[in-house]
Amino acid sequence: MIEEIEHTETVYSVSDITGILKQLIESTPELNGVWVKGEISNLTYHSSGHIYFSLKDEGAVIQAVFFKHANKHLDFKLEEGMSVVVFGGVTVFEKRGSYQFIVYKIRKEGLGELLQKIEKLKEKLHKEGLFAPERKKPLPALPKRIGVVTSPTGAAIRDIIKVAMRRFPNIEIILAPAKVQGEGAVESIVTGIQELNNPQWGVDVIIAGRGGGSFEDLMAFNEEAVVRAFAGSRVPIISAVGHQIDHPLSDLAADVAAPTPSAAAEIAVPVKAELIAAIDNYTMRMMRRLTMMVQSFANRIMLIVRRRVFQNPMSLVENYELALADAENRIQALTHKCITDTKERLSRVRDLELIIKNRLQNYWHIFMMNVSKLEHLSPVSVLKRGYSITLKDSQIVSSIKKIHQGDTVRVIVYDGSMQCDIQLVNEEVSFGKKG
Amino acid sequence: MEKKAKKITFEDALEELEAIASKLESGELTLEQSIQYYERGVELAKFCRQKLEEAERKIEVLQKQPDGTVQKKSVKVKEDTGEIEDDEDIQGSLL
Repeated sequence: MIEEIEHTETVYSVSDITGILKQLIESTPELNGVWVKGEISNLTYHSSGHIYFSLKDEGAVIQAVFFKHANKHLDFKLEEGMSVVVFGGVTVFEKRGSYQFIVYKIRKEGLGELLQKIEKLKEKLHKEGLFAPERKKPLPALPKRIGVVTSPTGAAIRDIIKVAMRRFPNIEIILAPAKVQGEGAVESIVTGIQELNNPQWGVDVIIAGRGGGSFEDLMAFNEEAVVRAFAGSRVPIISAVGHQIDHPLSDLAADVAAPTPSAAAEIAVPVKAELIAAIDNYTMRMMRRLTMMVQSFANRIMLIVRRRVFQNPMSLVENYELALADAENRIQALTHKCITDTKERLSRVRDLELIIKNRLQNYWHIFMMNVSKLEHLSPVSVLKRGYSITLKDSQIVSSIKKIHQGDTVRVIVYDGSMQCDIQLVNEEVSFGKKG
Repeated sequence: MEKKAKKITFEDALEELEAIASKLESGELTLEQSIQYYERGVELAKFCRQKLEEAERKIEVLQKQPDGTVQKKSVKVKEDTGEIEDDEDIQGSLL
């Protein structure tokens, strides 16, 4: 049998087995995040700050460690034999092969029942819708008057006044003095909240709470009447119960939960200087923008005004004036030229007259010369030189062929005519000597 | 505008003031609109500043009187630190 195992099964190391065990234990819900009731024994407050003890009952014992970081909120001293309820989980310490309970919180026994009662009340009020987010009222941004429900002797009211006045120097605070723990605390707190809800006090926001204390000290803020008073407040209300681990139910019922009264004052009261800075900032941004805009328009207007037309409105007319003068000049010049030209042409016409006259004279001269030439050609002048004209039957006889012997002809000379009879027709022409 | 400003709350006024500043910076507005918004903004800023000065700096404590009525009484505190000058001043009970 043993041999078979050795040959067919995997062999684990101690570390493997311990690892599996550790994982198994630490992932089991029933072993983690649980409350365990027992009696303290072998208690050791170690110099490191950790607290070691055994938790036991009649039948069993378990080692427990309450580490420094977790036990710093412990508000009572653990004692040997003390009955307690611890909250935490089981873990495996591999090096020693042991398991132990890591403690996160410790309550004295008897508180366990109280816790259960609170848990039940919480469940009940939750079902009623008392903690519903939609019930929460917003806090005013600028409360004028803060109502405070707390002890007149405690540090809470003093812290609130200091913080509130530092943030907003002219804030108004009205205290409803209350007993916040022990006999009569519940009635006192409820009365305080209700009183401050009376409109006559002009309260804008309520801070109800107390400084830190033990679990029992804070119990009043887990009482049903108080929780209901928080939920029923007409005025927005801040729960300000100094606590380390568990939130009191008032935190759930209030409009806002603050971890301490000082924190509540910081939540409720704005920093006046910041608001003034914000208003200044918006105002400055608006002004800067508007100034920019106006400036840009002013610049545009300046540019327009700087144009020559507006600087010297006559310039508009000047141009036309210049053009007009120019046109006038040109018209004058043209007219003058016209007149001169015409005059010149007219004077040229007078010359023409002269030319015509001269020419006429020329013609006249030529004419007269021709006339005198004509005079030379006239038969009269020829006749004067001794020539004569012979006519027969009024016809000029230029050849002997038209004359016959015996014809009567008329001979015309320079100063008269004669009737002659033809005696002889001779074909020869001779002048005197031969005849 | 004046009347409206009187009715609104401080936070509404501050919010509107911021919106106006942003609106002006967006550059979407004409000069005339800008001037209108600016005037409204100045109005709101004035309103906000007034609101900040409304509270009168007083610390009071309620005290139940023998006749059953509740009265308030003044508590003196140091102006610079807010420290209660006389612890007796702040004692009281509503029960």
